[in-house]
Amino acid sequence: MASDDALPTLKILLIGPSGAGKSALLMRYCDDEFDPDTAAATIGIDFKIKRLAVRGKPYRLTLFDTAGQERFRTLSTSFYRGAHGVILVYDISNRASFLSMERWFDEATANTVEDVALYLVGAKLDKASHSREVTAEEGLALAEQHGASFCEASSKTSENVRRPFVEIVNQIVQTPGLLTNATAKRRSGTVVVDSTTNGGYLPSLPNCAC
Amino acid sequence: MAMGSIADTLWDVVICGTGLQQSLLALSLSRSGKNILHIDPNDYYGGAEAAFSLQEAESWVDRLATEDKGLFRSASITKPDVTGLSFPRAYSLALAPQLIHARSELLSQLVSSRAYRQVEFLAVGSFYIFKAPLGPDQQPSLVRIPSTREDVFSTTAISAKAKRGLMKFLKFVLDYHSPEQRDAWKPFADKPLVDFLQEHFKMDAELKTYIITLTLSLDGRISTEDGLAIIQRHLTSMGHFGPGFAALYPKWGGISEIAQVACRAGAVGGAVYMLDTGIKSMATAADEIELELSSGDKVKTKLLVRGDEKVGDGPSISRLVAVVGSSLKSLFESTIEGAPTPCVAVVALPAGSLTVSGEATTSPVYVFAHSSGTGECPNGQSVLYLTTMATSNAREVLNSALGSFLSAMEQDQAPQCLYQLYYEQAAGVKQSRLDELTLDLPGPSLSLSMDDSMLKHVREAWQKVVGETVDDAEYMVFTDREPVDDDDYE
Repeated sequence: MASDDALPTLKILLIGPSGAGKSALLMRYCDDEFDPDTAAATIGIDFKIKRLAVRGKPYRLTLFDTAGQERFRTLSTSFYRGAHGVILVYDISNRASFLSMERWFDEATANTVEDVALYLVGAKLDKASHSREVTAEEGLALAEQHGASFCEASSKTSENVRRPFVEIVNQIVQTPGLLTNATAKRRSGTVVVDSTTNGGYLPSLPNCAC
Repeated sequence: MAMGSIADTLWDVVICGTGLQQSLLALSLSRSGKNILHIDPNDYYGGAEAAFSLQEAESWVDRLATEDKGLFRSASITKPDVTGLSFPRAYSLALAPQLIHARSELLSQLVSSRAYRQVEFLAVGSFYIFKAPLGPDQQPSLVRIPSTREDVFSTTAISAKAKRGLMKFLKFVLDYHSPEQRDAWKPFADKPLVDFLQEHFKMDAELKTYIITLTLSLDGRISTEDGLAIIQRHLTSMGHFGPGFAALYPKWGGISEIAQVACRAGAVGGAVYMLDTGIKSMATAADEIELELSSGDKVKTKLLVRGDEKVGDGPSISRLVAVVGSSLKSLFESTIEGAPTPCVAVVALPAGSLTVSGEATTSPVYVFAHSSGTGECPNGQSVLYLTTMATSNAREVLNSALGSFLSAMEQDQAPQCLYQLYYEQAAGVKQSRLDELTLDLPGPSLSLSMDDSMLKHVREAWQKVVGETVDDAEYMVFTDREPVDDDDYE
């Protein structure tokens, strides 16, 4: 395994309305876990890390969930900073969640760089047979309208769970402008304030020799 | 937090406002397991420390014109008839662009609470003094203040005699708490630092101006005790996180960014966030408060923490934020090998260096120049934050300072100003106030550098929420939240 620091780091956000299945998708993809009872919002997880190889090249993904701030739409501009990709999630068995996506697309594009990779996911595909309220065609049309890729997935059955992550990374790595700030470990001008990663720089009093 | 109605929960604390103090409180409580509802009447984070896109700045100014926003007044936007301004979201203008010294307790807390990982810190570079033109055909100029021993040795801007005086003073400040030095300054403790510099060091006017500028004192009359503390912090911060700089500035709008990151930490810890939601009315019963929110929700809490928005009795300040169509490159050069490229430069126009409506200015004007590296403007532009004491002609003073500063920057053609936001900010209340179930934190600081005394009020509020039994040593000390980490190499 390559040293973590050497890998290009990609920041990917999962956004969308409460209950759409963002955390379930993340849990299934990262931990291969699915808990049908955890409908409650996610507490205590800041972000998850996953190493993913695309086109034979490994990347370090940092995957950020909304931490409940989607509920009253209070995601901050700082949350979106530096994002390479945004995965927008709605619930195919809930029409209202689909109808809210227009606003989520607006928020995502307003707060990220112009060529950010966007991916629309219709979650809870396992409910398709009995309670689907949004067709796959509608999902695809909305995605195309916003220049996003699209798929439907089920965290319950694992169907298509990897696909959005692999495809959005594929999209990101083919956008050269997006990648430049992923490979430079620290941009010039940035100051490291954590002394343990300070490269052994020993702070000392200036002038004290006089 | 289960997705029940917010009315079903008895909250341990409702925090109102997302300024730096309230946000740090949310961060400090983010691992406490307390039920926290965090609201803000504004539809943006950061309160008096927010950072605005041009569009947000415009709605802020419009709202100020129609409703009383407490500490802010006389806000207006001017757009000169020139081209060059980019789209509104290309800008992030800070209402309170404070420098954070490397030795600030705030930084230690951000590191120990692990919140710093989401903030990008930039170096604050040189401090300059504006020199008015000596004659009618001359140009104004900027002189860099030497503030380290090496600097003092190498500078050509001051005389050998002044160098000795400055060196003597720097040495004194580093050791000013020692018994023999205390004897020297104690009699001057409450008197202006300039008086002490005059009496004890026999400094000339120019050298005194250098020293006062390092304190960023708004009226130039900072007390000896406060001034020495600030200069010592400046000197000991120099080199702390790397060579060539003493202070930091968070990218994308300064402490607004810290407030947002702290709120995110609060949310990760389970706090519920509502913006655009204020308190319409409140009623106190036995040991809880019932709040009616502007959203119509009624919630119950054991404690309400707010920021005091009343006007205090200190003097007000006037601010002018200007976007200019030049990168002002010469201001952002690092002076030491291996130093990070600074994104902020500080320029002081000392009291008396400008003449406005026939009268010499009576307080300094400070200009914080921010390069596009701060993310606050597009490449090829800069943002200037001018601050001075509010007087009847403060606006003219700031405009004159802006013009003088720009003419000192380029000899042939002064950079163009593309946008101006002017406003006045009153001093807030200085003490926190606990009233049974309500705790009001002090108003925002007007200081141009992070005022660590603010942190103690946040800590007291934290103690109030978690109870006296929780050890104070645990304050803001958290481990990293363990990210799940594995491979997906197929």
